[in-house]
Amino acid sequence: MNAFEVGGLNIAKKIKDYYDVIIIGGGPGGITAAIYAVQGGLSPLVIERAIEGGQMNNTETIENWPGFKTISGVELSERMAEHARHFGADSLNSEVTSIDAEGKLKKVILETGKMIEARVLVIATGANPRKLDVPGEGVFSGKGVSYCATCDGHFFSGKHVAVVGGGNSAMAETLYLLKIVRKITIIQDLLKLTGDKMLQDRVKASGKVDFVLGSKVRGIEGDEKVERLLVEKSDTGEQISVDIDGVFVFIGTTPNSSLLRGKVDLNRYGYVLVDSKMETSVPGVYGIGDVVEKEVRQIATAAGDAAVAMHHAILDHFD
Amino acid sequence: MSEKLLDGEIRKQVEEIFGNMRSEVRILFFVDSKRCEFCETIEKLLDELVELTDKISYDKITAGSTEANDHGIEMTPAMIPLTPEGDDKGIRFYGIPSGHEFGTFLKTLVDFSAGAVPEISERSLERLDSIDDPVDIKVFVTTSCPYCPKAVLTAFGFAFASSKITASMVEASEFEELSKKFRVSSVPQVVINSSRSFVGAHPEEEYLTEIMKAVTG
Ligand SMILES: Cc1cc2nc3c(=O)[nH]c(=O)nc-3n(C[C@H](O)[C@H](O)[C@H](O)COP(=O)(O)OP(=O)(O)OC[C@H]3O[C@@H](n4cnc5c(N)ncnc54)[C@H](O)[C@@H]3O)c2cc1C
Repeated sequence: MNAFEVGGLNIAKKIKDYYDVIIIGGGPGGITAAIYAVQGGLSPLVIERAIEGGQMNNTETIENWPGFKTISGVELSERMAEHARHFGADSLNSEVTSIDAEGKLKKVILETGKMIEARVLVIATGANPRKLDVPGEGVFSGKGVSYCATCDGHFFSGKHVAVVGGGNSAMAETLYLLKIVRKITIIQDLLKLTGDKMLQDRVKASGKVDFVLGSKVRGIEGDEKVERLLVEKSDTGEQISVDIDGVFVFIGTTPNSSLLRGKVDLNRYGYVLVDSKMETSVPGVYGIGDVVEKEVRQIATAAGDAAVAMHHAILDHFD
Repeated sequence: MSEKLLDGEIRKQVEEIFGNMRSEVRILFFVDSKRCEFCETIEKLLDELVELTDKISYDKITAGSTEANDHGIEMTPAMIPLTPEGDDKGIRFYGIPSGHEFGTFLKTLVDFSAGAVPEISERSLERLDSIDDPVDIKVFVTTSCPYCPKAVLTAFGFAFASSKITASMVEASEFEELSKKFRVSSVPQVVINSSRSFVGAHPEEEYLTEIMKAVTG
């Protein structure tokens, strides 16, 4: 049993109809923005549809956030949420289903139909796991196909699972799954792994992992649940079948920006375009963190974006 | 096991959150007549919470008793938080609400105590009103799943709004047989009337659409 977490709770708190700043998404970017907003004398509201901390909650250990040599993603999430709450930032557990960013007052509509207004909007919706987009993936989602090792690893205790992907997330999640499952087959389209060497070494040293490199997953098959993957060797086109009990997919992310389509400028992959002040094509609407077009998507860069965005938001949109 | 479940830092946070409570809420806590490790943990948790506020009390009830049957409790450990008026709103916790589900548990208690009503859109309320027969929603969770609390709380909101709906948080690892029966391998998995199910924390409208599908067959 794991510990007890309070999380970023919005308990019995009355949500107002207006905030100086509404931050959509409560990942490290959104929480940092809330902290800077309070420090700048503004009233912020963080709206988070799952729980605060965002993708950090799916991360077993974080070893590159200064101040903590190693910390669990859940604990860092808790600490950040607590920090913002302690400063008096309001938070709300709800999903934003649409925005109207045209006027001077920006409007945010929640899943409940409620509308809240703000002078400044901060888009901090982050990213979600990218899907494989192969036959069988949809049918078997929840029947052996998973995108979250910390959520679902438990169900594969003693089993043989595939991990698709060879980057940092795939390596980190493999290390987590190794504590639960019997065997892991890593499938990666490139001919080598791309994750940090330190992580790769730990994965290889486990002795419980085999590799199918230079190969693409073409299909997921089974009867009532996942039983095998169809894998194609990129050089020869040869198809092989790999028997497994489950498959965890870590092949990168896609931006959570459907909300913004037609409202602010996005690049062709759906990432939000911002200027050096982190402001989008619409004045008063800022974009920060993983949802933004950039090279490096990390906790530190999400927090950095937030600091820059709030600095300019305060200067340019409040007197 | 004399060590506390809630350490100093969490206790402080819980106390702060309990500061929002107003009326007293009672929890019906259902245990097995045989020895049950998970029941003991919950009892310890409840005792620690009761130490932190005078607004929470609990009754320990044995499964199989008339009272358990009246509330339709068939497995343990289970908890039903009652409103300050003593009403059972159809909200159930099966298993230990630890990890992320601790927040769900606290929020439910404090909202009940403060008289906070879950916010639901007019449209959803109308759709909920049209339900005539009992609906059972089970939300299977693991305590490390960040999307689960929302899936549970949305179902609780529906149960709160409709007297026909019972909504349960079911901690999958403590109810392995049941999880196997419904082939749970990703969470949150929402099972409606033991017949329909879906995976994920859908927003309110989509969530209700799934429930209505099970209702209308
Ligand atoms: C497995 C894994 C391991 C990682 N390990 C590390 C690491 O070790 N170090 C590191 O620095 N980085 C790591 N990262 C990357 C890091 O987690 C991200 O870069 C960071 O979390 C991005 O922060 P963010 O605030 O931009 O967005 P996110 O963390 O993605 O948070 C966005 C939040 O917005 C919410 N949201 C989205 N849409 C809506 C809506 N419409 N309404 C309401 N809420 C919404 C989401 O629920 C989410 O909680 C890892 C990522 C993964 C997946």
